[in-house]
Amino acid sequence: MSDPSDTTNEEQEGIAPELTRREFLQTTGTTVAATAVAPALVGAANANAQQVTGEAGTTINLTVNGAAQTVEVQDHWTLVELLRDHLQLTGTKIGCNRSECGACTVLVDGEPVYSCSQLAVWMDGRSITTIEGLSSGGQLSPVQQAFVDHNGAQCGFCTSGQIMTATALLASNPSPTAGQVKGAMVGNICRCANYNAIVEAVVDAGQRNGGAA
Amino acid sequence: MSEQINYAVEPLGTIGHETPRIDALERVTGQARYTRDQRLPGMLYARILRSRVPHARILSIDTSRAEQLEGVVSVITHENAQVVWGAGSVSGGRQYNDPVKEATLHRRYIFNNPVRFVGEPVAAVAATDRHIAEQALSLIEVEYEELPFVLEPEEALQETAAQIWPEGNLAPDFRNNFEPMVTRRGEIDAGFAQADRVFEDRYSTSFIHNAQMEPRCALAHWEGDKLTLYSPTQGISNCRHDTARDLGLADHQVRIICQYMGGGFGNKNQNQDTDLVAATLSRRASAPVMLEYSRKEDWLGVHGRWPTVQYYKIGVTNDGTVTAMQMNAYSGMGPYRKNSGGISGMDGYACENLERVIYPVYTNRTVSGNFRAPSEPHGHYGIESMMDEIAYQIGMDPVEFTLKNMRRPTDARPFTNYSLDQCIARGAELFDWENRRRVTPGSDEGPIKRGAGFSFMMFRAGVGTSSAIVKVDGNQQYTLYVGVTDIGPGAKTTMGMIAAEELGVPLSQVEVVSGDSDRCPYSVGESGSRTTIMTGIAVVEACKDLKQQIDQRGMPEGANVLIASATPSPTTDGKVRNCFAAHFCEVEVDTRLGTTVVTKYTAVHESGRLINPQTALDQIRGATIQGIGQALHENTLYDSNTGQPLTSGYYSGRLATHLDVPDIEVEFIEVDDGYGPFGAKTAGESGIILSPAAVANAVSNAIGHRMKELPITRDRILEVTS
Repeated sequence: MSDPSDTTNEEQEGIAPELTRREFLQTTGTTVAATAVAPALVGAANANAQQVTGEAGTTINLTVNGAAQTVEVQDHWTLVELLRDHLQLTGTKIGCNRSECGACTVLVDGEPVYSCSQLAVWMDGRSITTIEGLSSGGQLSPVQQAFVDHNGAQCGFCTSGQIMTATALLASNPSPTAGQVKGAMVGNICRCANYNAIVEAVVDAGQRNGGAA
Repeated sequence: MSEQINYAVEPLGTIGHETPRIDALERVTGQARYTRDQRLPGMLYARILRSRVPHARILSIDTSRAEQLEGVVSVITHENAQVVWGAGSVSGGRQYNDPVKEATLHRRYIFNNPVRFVGEPVAAVAATDRHIAEQALSLIEVEYEELPFVLEPEEALQETAAQIWPEGNLAPDFRNNFEPMVTRRGEIDAGFAQADRVFEDRYSTSFIHNAQMEPRCALAHWEGDKLTLYSPTQGISNCRHDTARDLGLADHQVRIICQYMGGGFGNKNQNQDTDLVAATLSRRASAPVMLEYSRKEDWLGVHGRWPTVQYYKIGVTNDGTVTAMQMNAYSGMGPYRKNSGGISGMDGYACENLERVIYPVYTNRTVSGNFRAPSEPHGHYGIESMMDEIAYQIGMDPVEFTLKNMRRPTDARPFTNYSLDQCIARGAELFDWENRRRVTPGSDEGPIKRGAGFSFMMFRAGVGTSSAIVKVDGNQQYTLYVGVTDIGPGAKTTMGMIAAEELGVPLSQVEVVSGDSDRCPYSVGESGSRTTIMTGIAVVEACKDLKQQIDQRGMPEGANVLIASATPSPTTDGKVRNCFAAHFCEVEVDTRLGTTVVTKYTAVHESGRLINPQTALDQIRGATIQGIGQALHENTLYDSNTGQPLTSGYYSGRLATHLDVPDIEVEFIEVDDGYGPFGAKTAGESGIILSPAAVANAVSNAIGHRMKELPITRDRILEVTS
């Protein structure tokens, strides 16, 4: 839709963008790049969009779910685009693409962030955790297990984001009260309105874990 | 089936125990693949250009610059792609078929000229990259001749209003009758003559978008003349059928796949224009096409609960008996009549002198469609507000007034069972209704006032036809094939539990195959609170057949399998089958700020026997909270000067967040009435039907002013209290 608000970052959460000039690095390890000619727009539907057709990407080094990655990204890619389209991590969902719903929440250096509203190039040197990175060796994380036990997911589309925010909460506050959970998770909308079950799950995850997230 | 009513329901082997979803692991680890997570080799991305104006004739569309952009593969408009979107314009609840498609006078195509609302599709582009597709949209030049527009349904019926269709703005039914929906019973004039007092009032409700978390999308892929659609639909069977009708194909030429979908609430039933646009582009481009809507497109391009204006006239005697009920009402349908425009609630009363006239009206707003209990919450808000006001005016407790006037079984109209009295009594007790309601509304001293509200409902829990197939193999592994799509309530798990119960095996021994129209038989679709009952009955019958086969032939060994299927046509022997509920709500209103906080909420429901108490509970809680949002927050506002929508998103549409939500106390009264699978009834829509009414009544009880418009926003409270 020709609506600037859909592709403009209305709000940036979490980390402040770091806009330093990056050196072009010879790619080693995993290189993910757009193979087709990818003319693109900064703010695609913006009338004043700047055309960057044919411009080479920027190579960034980042850690995704514990694994070091070197990735060539286009400057207009958002973090969620990088994760979903180029790293095949589709567990992170796009609900609004404009910082309203929280379905795309991931952890950047442990902080919950709306990945729809962060540019991929800002992730140089950062450590990203997505829903795919929470369980290890077939063992669900305490929050994931509590979501299973308490029916934390109805349609499931907001679930990844809810779990990521809850994980960050428990890391800083291992046994939150229901009120603290609600306050911390206010940026994660659930249209199934499964809020009671989600709060019960997060409180239980904290209690079960004896205070260690 | 048995006619014995069992009021002492105990958990069975599998049924009745809180059971985690069989796909819970996939849902909490990110492995669940939704439509937009699918990838096919050579897949193109598609975007839609939409009307910026509420009503205009398209004089020309120039797509040449877009087509020349490198990476653009196909561009379609109303000039080169005329596909009827039948389910976008056929009155709801009717089975769409070729004669209906042919007969429909006001047809909705995937692209229409003139365009009739802001957000109506004008063109679509498929390109190698989604950014190229978006860039191409900006290169399409559209010349509009703007036309007058009308936004409000009452105004739209005036002679001077802008005409949206040649026949005027009263929307016809699927037989092209230009008539309001009329119900008349008894003697309305005589009823008013018997009344000691007659009350009249006007209530209105707003457009509420379903706003499911997953925006619409579709991935279309042709192999020869066979179309495969990955689509977030609530019903793979009706989506397949509708898509085949619209594209002129046989049903078997269309395969619908929907393993996971991110909510719908009625909004994604049948097929969507996404399906048809993606299929059309894919055919032309000879490549798979993924069409994605943005949040705003989803909000404006598709459907939500119709806004209504309801005029009531109610006659009562001095002892509180309702003698006559009349409603004249208007439902704003947008410029296409996708669904009924119904307004329910009056049928909860026994009064036999009734007249109800509802005008479904075209407007130049976004199209209205089904949202969870499509006709109910706004109607219950209207009639329950009327009755609550009358009760206080004549000095009665609203609960007592309801008990005196609510519909009960009669010899002429028997029910399979009736538990509304128990729901009300238990709810009043749990909530402490006696002490929480203000006998004199608004009587709290000071600016912060509390009050309590009550509402009730009875809602269909009828039986009907669906299909199921069940198989057992040489490893004693059972596979159940059901055409359900799990849109959130947990149908996949529920169906597995019903099969496990009937087969007498653990749930882990039953694999459930669903969400693929090439692999699963017909299912009614996840709408109308029907899946648990209708597909559930088919599962029971198929499993009974399989057990019989096993008894006769023994368990299969080696490569052998036994297979059973069922497509039953159950009845309720002419009896009404309903679920029942009573809600009690307490609010605290700060009359200096206009803010309302729900401080206590109690819901007592009878939904028959619960298959999975855990998912049933969250259906009630979630729906109740959605209704609280409808009562207090949600609206899609339009600028009356320009016809532009102003609040099409999560922030501006003001959906409930974690912080807006009280703990919903739910208690079930479990009953097995002998019908439905193990006595199960409906749960999915129940909670939202009566929660807006309970909240609105609580606010009025707190502040002593009747709130006659939803949502009850801060400005509306300040308007009456300051």
